[in-house]
Amino acid sequence: MMSSLLDWFIQPDVITAIVAFGSMGLFFVGLFGLLTQRHLIKIFISISLMEAAVFLYFLGTIFHRELTAPILGDGHTAFTGMNDPIPHAMILTAIVIGMALFALGVSFAIEYYKLTGRTDINKMKEMGE
Amino acid sequence: MSSIYFVALPLLFGFAVPLLTKLGKNGVAYTSTLMQAGLFILASTLLISTSWHVEIIAINPPLGISFVLNEASLFFVTLFTLLMMSFSFYYMGLRKTDPYENENKFFILINMLLASSIGLVLSSDIFNIYVFFEIAGISAYILSAYKKTPKALEAGIKYLLTGMIASVFLVFAIALIYIHLGSLNLAVLSEHFVTLPHDTKFLIGLLLFLGFGFKVEIFPLNFWVTDVYEGSSAPVDALFSAIVVKAYLFVFFHILYLFLPNSEYAAFLIYLGAISMLVAEIIALKQSDLKRVFAYSSLGQIGFIFSVMAAGSSEAVTAAFYIVLAHSLAKMMIFLSIASIEREHKSSQISTLTTLNSPFLKVIMVIAMLSLLGIPPPLGFTGKFLALKSFTVSGEFIVLAMIIVASLIESIYYFKITGALFAKGERREKLSLTFSQKGVFGILALALVVIGIAPWLISGFVHDASQVMLDSAAYLQTILGASK
Repeated sequence: MMSSLLDWFIQPDVITAIVAFGSMGLFFVGLFGLLTQRHLIKIFISISLMEAAVFLYFLGTIFHRELTAPILGDGHTAFTGMNDPIPHAMILTAIVIGMALFALGVSFAIEYYKLTGRTDINKMKEMGE
Repeated sequence: MSSIYFVALPLLFGFAVPLLTKLGKNGVAYTSTLMQAGLFILASTLLISTSWHVEIIAINPPLGISFVLNEASLFFVTLFTLLMMSFSFYYMGLRKTDPYENENKFFILINMLLASSIGLVLSSDIFNIYVFFEIAGISAYILSAYKKTPKALEAGIKYLLTGMIASVFLVFAIALIYIHLGSLNLAVLSEHFVTLPHDTKFLIGLLLFLGFGFKVEIFPLNFWVTDVYEGSSAPVDALFSAIVVKAYLFVFFHILYLFLPNSEYAAFLIYLGAISMLVAEIIALKQSDLKRVFAYSSLGQIGFIFSVMAAGSSEAVTAAFYIVLAHSLAKMMIFLSIASIEREHKSSQISTLTTLNSPFLKVIMVIAMLSLLGIPPPLGFTGKFLALKSFTVSGEFIVLAMIIVASLIESIYYFKITGALFAKGERREKLSLTFSQKGVFGILALALVVIGIAPWLISGFVHDASQVMLDSAAYLQTILGASK
């Protein structure tokens, strides 16, 4: 019973569905946070969640269980039957950039709080009419 | 001859700043200006001996990254280096009077901005474009919040938030493109994009539009722009309006022409640009802060460029290139004048112009505003005339009417500003400009007027550039041919 459930679970279609729905769920959690939260740092966290959801979706969709890691050795002598390494390189870059943006955002928010004592985005009204 | 210098040198300069501080108080400023002048000379010599050039980095395309230097990208590279060089010359004069500006990290940021704007224009790999998109973004956010006043930080936070949202959509679009097409090279994508099912194409197109739409400041994704312009310091606004937006506009239409030539969305984009222009000009009427007025005027002009570019015919794109040139030069002059005025008067309200005492700056501002309005002799007229002509030829009379109405509204607030400039009344003591600042203003104004009177001086370059931008078959051939 248990093993047949596991077998069902690791079918490619089922895993793809789980990745797709799970990451889109996470994306909408982030979007919900972005639209409802008013605290600056919470907004930055929400956007990071959306970003993470996109990364998970991309990696989950492009990854094939039956293929191996793109590393030669352990009996692998040719670049066949391996996963595509480009998405991983892309997502690593994107994670670093996302982290940099998040850190920059938080540091701006802290500086702003030190100067004005405000963290609420609705109360950011230094400018305009 | 290598196109990689245009990206590598400014970046390298950024890393070398800690060493260059050993050269003395002004060492970094002088070397930065010198390097930008060198890049401008390099770009203009290439402009004369122009030919297609593909720079391959490490691996051949389609796997590797390549930079494509053709007439179209060279036009933008020359423009960016010229503007950045004039900005540096102006800024050197500004540094003498304000100790806060006397910081070397400012030069790291503007050179990063230059490198990434040029990288955006040259790159032929969509993920590489994303990386430059973010480098340009990060340096722009920091420049925006540079003064660390509550206003500047608010501008920085707003810019950063919209930029982060844009980058999420862009990464999503790139991920979908890779999942469906298995490549990141623009030429390969351009070949296979049409074969995708309609829904996928629509989703990717929508995500790309959302990703770039925030950055190209198109209605309705431009709600953040004016706050950012008002909060940032005026010299930084000059960079945003003259360089950064133009780089994003180029990339947006480069990708559009490659992926969806003669697309059914063109009409939608033309109207979007025209609406963007109309809305921005109407709101600009009510503003009383100079930076805000010209931020809205920027939005209007960018809507205009967007609309003309989206039309996609060869005459329209030629016109768009003229408008890009005229708008960049004029906005550089306007925002740098505002920087001088703000420095002297500690305010950027329109009413402060009535006490401005500098006949030189007045003439400069009037020339720039005439160009923005499209009244001869400055260059703005040529672009606007060609654009309206191309819309007339293609029978887009509703867009034509919208643009003319928007221009009329635009003229109202420009006349208001001109009126304030020449109003009778008490004047302050004379506003002082350094020799290099006057030189920058003089050369930019001279360029606007001379090219405006004699557009045939550059019409060859502009014509070639616009034809090359539309010719996606040649682009494919150059990139994919280079690997064979």
